[in-house]
Amino acid sequence: MSPTLVIARLTVREAVRRRLVAAFGVITVLLAALSAWGFDRLSHARNVTSGEVHVAIPQSLIVFMFMFSFVVALSASAMASPSVSTEIESGILLAVLTRPVRRSEVLLGKWLGLAGVLLAYSVVVSALEVGIVDLVSGFVPPDPVGAALYLFGEGAILLSVTVLLSTRLSAIATGVVAVALFGAAWLAGVVGSLGTLFKIGTLRSVGEVARFLLPTDGLWHGAIYALEPRSFVAQRLSQSSAAAGNPFFATAPLAWPYLVFVGAWFVLVMAAALYSFERREL
Amino acid sequence: MSLARWAEPAVPEGAGSVGGAQGADAGRESPAIHTTDLRKHYRGTTALAGLSMTVRRGEVFGFLGPNGAGKTTAVKLLLGLVRPSGGEAMVLGAPAGDRETRRQIGYLPELFRFPGWLSAREVLFLHCRLLGLARETHPAAVGEALETVGLAPRAGDKVGTFSKGMQQRLGLGVALLGAPALVILDEPTSALDPVGRHDVRRVVLDLRRRGATVFLNTHLLEEAQQICDRVTVIDRGRAVATGTLAELLGGVASVRLRVSGLARTWWAGLTGFGTFSAAGEWVVAEGIAPGAVPDLVAAIVARGGRVEAVVPEHRTLEERFLELLAAP
Ligand SMILES: Nc1ncnc2c1ncn2[C@@H]1O[C@H](COP(=O)(O)OP(=O)(O)O)[C@@H](O)[C@H]1O
Ligand SMILES: [Mg+2]
Repeated sequence: MSPTLVIARLTVREAVRRRLVAAFGVITVLLAALSAWGFDRLSHARNVTSGEVHVAIPQSLIVFMFMFSFVVALSASAMASPSVSTEIESGILLAVLTRPVRRSEVLLGKWLGLAGVLLAYSVVVSALEVGIVDLVSGFVPPDPVGAALYLFGEGAILLSVTVLLSTRLSAIATGVVAVALFGAAWLAGVVGSLGTLFKIGTLRSVGEVARFLLPTDGLWHGAIYALEPRSFVAQRLSQSSAAAGNPFFATAPLAWPYLVFVGAWFVLVMAAALYSFERREL
Repeated sequence: MSLARWAEPAVPEGAGSVGGAQGADAGRESPAIHTTDLRKHYRGTTALAGLSMTVRRGEVFGFLGPNGAGKTTAVKLLLGLVRPSGGEAMVLGAPAGDRETRRQIGYLPELFRFPGWLSAREVLFLHCRLLGLARETHPAAVGEALETVGLAPRAGDKVGTFSKGMQQRLGLGVALLGAPALVILDEPTSALDPVGRHDVRRVVLDLRRRGATVFLNTHLLEEAQQICDRVTVIDRGRAVATGTLAELLGGVASVRLRVSGLARTWWAGLTGFGTFSAAGEWVVAEGIAPGAVPDLVAAIVARGGRVEAVVPEHRTLEERFLELLAAP
């Protein structure tokens, strides 16, 4: 087995042993049960028209998935912020890095292990939510797999940033910065939407720039589009321009150049993380 | 007494007469460790100020110095964990930090931890994998390491429940995996009880029997004295002396003698043994070559003297150590 896989396996084992996976499980079951109850109330409400329900169900699904995207992204930074710095401080890495392994293999192994946990979590949560909604209301989003992957993508982006920061900053500092960046990126997305709505160029460009600096909110819009019924998008768009200002609404799928950019962004951040770790003195 | 000769590169005994053979030997097997003017500066501190030393293959080499002398820094440089500010270091014939060479090196760090959620056995298996040992050899290697460091009864326990001393034992076991040619131990007994210290001594001597080289960082003179073939004394980032401990302790002996039946200055014809001076009814003979004390006594007797008493002038390890450290 290559050293990268040895470390990846070790990282996954740590997530299981230290009850991270169990915590994910408990939280997910609780939240999913809550959402099941909510969706059931919504679709059987007497004072709501069926047309309204058709709009409300997908919107609620998106809001729930938004919450899960928060869980995924914050978990990514919580898991990854001690991954390098704390292990350097405690001396865990001394024994590992004096073996015939490359530092890059160790770092990539950690990334892979954590990314694997996030991917599994994203897929399980998406399947659970989509399944619940289907069961209760019969609504199936157009692209559930895409939604799960975008959810994971958000986590993976935050994971990479956190790993990069963790090669230099303490766990606490890394966590704080990573969460702040994630929050700022989301807020910038909302500001951008408002800019679009009120036709304020500077605000709109804040959103645009942020999409490129930290593409979490960009990917979140991909997830939204994957969850929206297509008819609903067309209808909303024809009705008013106000829809474009809704942070839980996406007018179009992510353009492929943007996805290419996100790929390049990944490569760049991981390269920076590897370089920084390679240069780090222990 | 001059310390300069201890700082000279070590030449194996009798090597002078077999220069050709030695040359061939050197070509086939490089020294275990060879550094030239190795330096490391941190912001504001000089941790290592030009270290030149050679550790021969198969010897137990002590790196002896007080806290903050630069011992750990030197070891980290040898392993490529930190980059040198200057100078050069070769380990097992390759530049320090070379990845493939690390396969043959076992390292017990000074301050370290293993993941607390792994059991001792799992830590050892992990390191077998990181070393790339053939899979079918793992169980035997792990079992042997556990036996050697006395952790077999606790093999299944989580490392997080281990005392510092037990962690250190496990660290030693990890350093022994894969039959390394060079084992670097950084203060291996710092957390160990007397039994543990004894065990470390046994492990080191086993390693030497197997032909491995051991590089031992320690601030404990006693430890160095008990197990090291040669030592370098390091202080403030500088090697102040190198040699066997017997040499460092004054390879030359001093004795006090009480002799009767001869003239007052009976030593006049014996100055080849050393320097003599009267001190009351005693005579102090200094600078006697190792093993020459019996010869001196025999010579006195041959001259008709009666040797009433011979008292070795003890210079303790500590005294000598402090003397070395005080040297400019
Ligand atoms: N990472 C570091 N940053 C700054 N100074 C350091 C660092 N590591 C070691 N030093 C300094 O270098 C000197 C030698 O340290 P060290 O090699 O650990 O000594 P020893 O192992 O002999 O006790 C000390 O003065 C120490 O404070
Ligand atoms: Mg030290």
